[in-house]
Amino acid sequence: MAKKYTYYPGCSSEGSAKHLDTSIRAIAPKLGIEIEDIEDWNCCGASVGELAAGKLTNAALSASNLAQAREQGDQDLMTPCAACYLNTHATNEHIREDDTFKNDLNEALAAAGKSYDGDLHVRHACEVLVNDVGLDAIREQVTNPLDGIKIAGYVGCQTVRPFAATERGGDYDSYDDPEFLDDFINATGAEAIDFDNATSCCGGSVSVMSPDKTLHLMKKILDEAKEKGADAIATPCPLCQTNVEMYQDAINQKFGTDFDIPVVFYSQLMALAFGMDASKDAALHQNIIKADKLVAKAKT
Amino acid sequence: MAEQKYDLGFARYVRDNIDGGDKLSMCMQCGVCSGSCPIGTEMDHGPRKLFMMIRAGMKEAVLKSNTMFNCVSCYNCVVRCPRSVPVKYILHDLGRLAITEGYADRKEVENSRFADAFWWSVTKFGKTDERLVTAKYYFSGGIGEGIKKGMGNMRIALGMIKTKRMHLGMPHKTKKQKNLKAILAKATEIQDRTSGAGER
Repeated sequence: MAKKYTYYPGCSSEGSAKHLDTSIRAIAPKLGIEIEDIEDWNCCGASVGELAAGKLTNAALSASNLAQAREQGDQDLMTPCAACYLNTHATNEHIREDDTFKNDLNEALAAAGKSYDGDLHVRHACEVLVNDVGLDAIREQVTNPLDGIKIAGYVGCQTVRPFAATERGGDYDSYDDPEFLDDFINATGAEAIDFDNATSCCGGSVSVMSPDKTLHLMKKILDEAKEKGADAIATPCPLCQTNVEMYQDAINQKFGTDFDIPVVFYSQLMALAFGMDASKDAALHQNIIKADKLVAKAKT
Repeated sequence: MAEQKYDLGFARYVRDNIDGGDKLSMCMQCGVCSGSCPIGTEMDHGPRKLFMMIRAGMKEAVLKSNTMFNCVSCYNCVVRCPRSVPVKYILHDLGRLAITEGYADRKEVENSRFADAFWWSVTKFGKTDERLVTAKYYFSGGIGEGIKKGMGNMRIALGMIKTKRMHLGMPHKTKKQKNLKAILAKATEIQDRTSGAGER
C-alpha cells in the first residue's frame, strides 16, 4: 500500500548531489513511497534567483513546477532538496494567501497555456519520512544495522527553517534543536552523537562565491564532529553536503587542521542499513572523502 | 566624512515597496537578528542597525552597505524575531533595490555577479548547470581572476569529476524550453508593470 507522491529532484540531482537522488530513489519503495517525477521540472531559483530577476519572476519558476505537478494529479509534491523545498513551498503558500500574487503568476503561466490555483501540498522528504512513513517503518527495513558507527547529524538551515514548525510545513520539529535526523541515524543502528552544531550554517551560497568569509563556519562544524569522535557527518541538505565536504582541504590549509571527515546523506545511511548495494543504491562511491568505515559495513 | 543625507520618505518607500517592508514598523531594536547572524561580522551594519537607519532616512548609507550581500539565507533571523519581522526577505529585496537603483555595482558585488551567472543558466537551460555557473562567475571578474579562482579550486573540480558529480558534456535542459521562457518573460513584464516588490 504505497503512497504516491509527485517528485521534484532539483538541479543538484543531476550534478553535485546525485548521491542524494540515487539513495532516495533506492529507499523510497522500501518505505512505501511511490514517486513520479515532475515530467519537465525546472530550476527553483535557489538563494540568488530573486536578486538577479526579482521576486515575481523568480516565483514564476516555482509556479511552472507547481502547475506541471498539478497536471500530473493532486498527490503531494515531495522534494529532498532544502532549497527546492523552501522556494516551492514558500511560493505555494504565498499563492494560497495572496490573490494578487496568485493572479499575477497565473497571468505568467497562461503564456504557456498553464494555470495553478494553489491546491497542492509541497513537502520535504524528511517531513514525509517523519509524518507519513514513521520511524517504526524505517526500523523495520533495517537488515544491516550500522552498529559501532558514530554519526554527527548535521541538519543545516533551510531543511527546517523557516517551515518545520509551521502547520503546513508538517510541524515535525524545532528550528534550533531538531531531533528527526538523530532519530533517522539511530534507526539505522548507528549512534547519533550529541551534536551542538546541528543547525549551524555552512555559509550556503556565500560559501560557493566567497569561501574566505565562511570557512570558519564550516570549521566549527568539523571541529565538534572530530572532537566527539564522529566517523562521518550525515546531512539532508545538498549544499551542506557539498560545502562541508569539498572545503576541508581549504580549511586545513587556512587553519592548520587535518580534517578528513566523510559527509554523507541520511538516505545513504538508510540504503546501507536496508542491506542495499553500497554503490548502486547508497552511492557511497560518489563521496569525495570516502566513507570507508561505512562501505566496509555493506552487505553486498 | 561626507555629509550625511537624509531622505525622510525612505521608510515609507520601504514600507510600501520592499518585500516584508510593511512589517518593519514592528522592529523593537532588540538585536536578536544581528546576534543570530552567522557572518554578521562581515556586515557594515547588522540588520538591527540597518533597520534603524531606514527609519532615520539614511537611504544612501543603507543602499550602499554590504549588509544585504552578506546574508547566507539561514533564516535564523526570520524564525527568531520576537516581532515576526521577515528580516531575510527585507534584506534581499533591499539588495535588489541597491542594484537596480545603481547604489551597488552589478559588476562589482560578488553576489550580483554570481546571481547573474546563475540566472543566465536558468534562462538558457531552465536548470542550473553548476559547472557553467561556477565558471561564468569565476570569469565575471576578468580573465585573471577567473584563472586564479579556477586554479585555486582545481582539486575540488577534479574530486567532483572523479566522483561523477560534475556533469560533463552538453548541459541538462528542460524538455519544452519555449514554455518556461514564455512564463518568465511574461512574469518579468508583470513585475515591471507593477514595479515588482511590495506584494508580500
